[in-house]
Amino acid sequence: MYLLEELSREYKRISIVGMAKNAGKTTALNYLIEEAMDEDLLLGITSTGRDGEGTDVVTGTDKPRVFLDTGTIVSVPTQLYELADAGLEIIRMTQYGSSLGPILLCRVVDSGYVQIAGPVINAQHIEMCEEMLRLGADLVLIDGAIDRKSIAAPETSDAIILSTGAVLSRKMSKVVEETAHTVGLYRLPCLEDGRERNLLTETNGEQIMLIKEDELVVLDRSTGLGAGKYLDAEIDETVTHVFVPGAFTHSVIADINPKKLKHITFVLKDPTKIFIGATMWNQLRKKGLTVKVLENIPVAAVTVNPTSPSGYMFDHEELVNAMQKAIPDIPVIDVRM
Amino acid sequence: MSTRILRLANPKTRRETGLDYVIGAMNLQTPFGTKQIKEQKPFFPGQEEALEEELDRIERMVETAAANKSDIGVLQETFMMMKDNTFTIERTEHSVLSVVEIFELKNLMLLMEKVRTLSTKIDLPAEYVPDTVNELLDILDPSGDRLNTFYIYDSFSEKLAELRREKRNMEREIRSRQKALRNEIKEKHGLSLTPKFDITVSKSDSAGIKMIEEIADLSKSDEDYMSVTYTLVPDDEVRQLMLKLDDLTADIEEEELVVRERLSKEIHKHSALLLENCDRIGRLDIILAKALYAAAHSCVKPEIVKEHIVEFEDGRHLQVEEIIKKKGGEYCPVSISLADGVTCITGANMGGKTVSLKLVGMVAILAQYGYFVPCSRAKVGLSNFMQILIGDSQSIERGLSSFGSEMEELKEIIDNSKDRSLLLIDEIASGTNPVEGLALTKSIVDYLKHQTIISLITTHFETVTEDKDVVNMQVTGLANVDFEKLNREIRYANRRERINIIQKYMDYRLQRVDNATQIPKDALNIAKMLGIDNSIIEKAKQYIV
Repeated sequence: MYLLEELSREYKRISIVGMAKNAGKTTALNYLIEEAMDEDLLLGITSTGRDGEGTDVVTGTDKPRVFLDTGTIVSVPTQLYELADAGLEIIRMTQYGSSLGPILLCRVVDSGYVQIAGPVINAQHIEMCEEMLRLGADLVLIDGAIDRKSIAAPETSDAIILSTGAVLSRKMSKVVEETAHTVGLYRLPCLEDGRERNLLTETNGEQIMLIKEDELVVLDRSTGLGAGKYLDAEIDETVTHVFVPGAFTHSVIADINPKKLKHITFVLKDPTKIFIGATMWNQLRKKGLTVKVLENIPVAAVTVNPTSPSGYMFDHEELVNAMQKAIPDIPVIDVRM
Repeated sequence: MSTRILRLANPKTRRETGLDYVIGAMNLQTPFGTKQIKEQKPFFPGQEEALEEELDRIERMVETAAANKSDIGVLQETFMMMKDNTFTIERTEHSVLSVVEIFELKNLMLLMEKVRTLSTKIDLPAEYVPDTVNELLDILDPSGDRLNTFYIYDSFSEKLAELRREKRNMEREIRSRQKALRNEIKEKHGLSLTPKFDITVSKSDSAGIKMIEEIADLSKSDEDYMSVTYTLVPDDEVRQLMLKLDDLTADIEEEELVVRERLSKEIHKHSALLLENCDRIGRLDIILAKALYAAAHSCVKPEIVKEHIVEFEDGRHLQVEEIIKKKGGEYCPVSISLADGVTCITGANMGGKTVSLKLVGMVAILAQYGYFVPCSRAKVGLSNFMQILIGDSQSIERGLSSFGSEMEELKEIIDNSKDRSLLLIDEIASGTNPVEGLALTKSIVDYLKHQTIISLITTHFETVTEDKDVVNMQVTGLANVDFEKLNREIRYANRRERINIIQKYMDYRLQRVDNATQIPKDALNIAKMLGIDNSIIEKAKQYIV
């Protein structure tokens, strides 16, 4: 199976996103890099990694250390350049700063281990990915921030690889359920092109907005948190859409009359704004909750890590099979095999 | 003998005349230019020739820039890519540079070559053209492809190339040896190891575990309560190779250091050349910025004369002009001619007296710092000392009353002024009672009028100008305005528009008044126009009579 080659035909920039800290994102990244070596694919490797502390230099924990093959294009902060075990030809010193000095764009001349880091600012990140593709990379793999799903913003990548693992729960069924739930969120329908979408995107507000009889009403509330009762009062039978800019939690909808809930569509910026667990989500769906997003991003693959750093592990095959059954149309890869 | 520190003007004067503004508005592109401009010194009396040379250089650069627009554009883009690596260059004296540092210097050198090519092409004076660094570049770029990438390439050292080749071979050998072992295990025991040469077995599979335990080539490397991971044990051959690999890696690092040491020494040999080039590029950056600024703001070359005068036609205060232009207005240029002695600017409120005062300072100080001046024609004789005395918000922040800080500054001026000084005094003693204020102003004028000092004083005390030794320059103001028309226009205007309308009708030009004519009394007119209650204005008129 030439997984990466197939993915590279469809996507140019793929972010690796962890479901939780220690979900095995770096393991997944290393696996994919090895896979690329086997497939003879030229990779660009960078990270949206949050700007780490100085202690990173010592522990190396936050900046993933990966083994890179000759030819790979990679972004490395200046202060980590000398620490790299691989031979790196410096192509350019960028203006993108990090706490470990400006980011260098390098080409691997001698394979070996490298600690990667990339620009923190989205616009710079996009520029860097474009430059890597110009330099000949077939596919750019982006190491997302450690434990925040929200970093894989749609504008910085074409697709994500969701990295999940035993760390999520001691119960395998729970791991599968939560992962499938997250994949499901990433597949929420986008609000169709049309008047509603135009109204909401043009305003691009940081406030809660309603669409009432085809007209936009901007409410004086920026977050849905604790706004439930207030929202309930504002929603009448003429309201069709409710735009929530920030976190979409249970408390936003808890106080809305279930009857009203059925008639409205909630619109969110993207699926990462949803902070509702699988069980609750399913209950709400049954009550008639409809959610659409302004932006979404495809899930290209799911990687599973059957071991948890806290010491327990699942049977490899069992986990992969269960996961594949829950999300039949997305490739599931065991990164430990 | 005490060494005299020459200071032309204090920071406040540099700020209030607009010198700082002009320097800030100059579009410097290189770190070298930015550094040099902070250290720039004015020209003092006796240095007229050097100043004229500098002004001639700007003049030539204005022409060159106009004739070679696209090349100048490329030159500026090249400038923008430069970083201040002078410290790295200096560091080579005692230290070995890192790969990143050598990369940065190589980049800088490539940019120097580019500047050299461009500046030769447009025929810039030799003093601005960087010398070639090709000899050093050849050392840093042995393949000669002049790409701006860098690595301790194999071509730097045959030994390094050999060591690296050996290392790669050895890695390959280890890998293939391990693959062979993996195949052996597969054939013998039917076990498939991962590409990392390990295998994980569930603890429930006790038969499997028992079997694996018996294979000598596999050893337990990890265990948790559900499974055990076994890793391929390197056989003696692999172990030997791995040990050798470690040695090789150390040797490679050592050889890389040798190369870096050699390159750092080579760079050090050329450090004087590199630093001189940085200097030239900085000077080129500044002269180009001066020329482009002059061209963009219609500044001209001032004529530098021996006698102590400041004379100009159609002068524009650049900072004020910028504001007026932004508002869509048009700047009314001012001409003046000053020589040693006291000149007073009198006239209407809102008549631009203070701006004219600052303008004189701007023209004089810009010329003396070697800049073109915002006039159609200017003649400047150099000063030894310049100071402006003007109320500013800083004195209030320091908790001084306006009169207090004024007197403090007056003392500074009187203590420091020397032969060939330029003093610009804005409405002195206006913050105290008119009796003492007038007396003080008159005595200051008396003190200044026979000295070899150009003093320019704005004032509302008209009797000061009755002195025959004082030149009186009057703001034309609203003297020639059709007040009926002005009043009609102002009647329906809102507050902000009123100010703009008055500014539109105001004639800011200065006229020399020789006989003691009356100062026009425009204060009440303007107050009325700005909407002060009519009963107050009428009452004020009664008081005048």
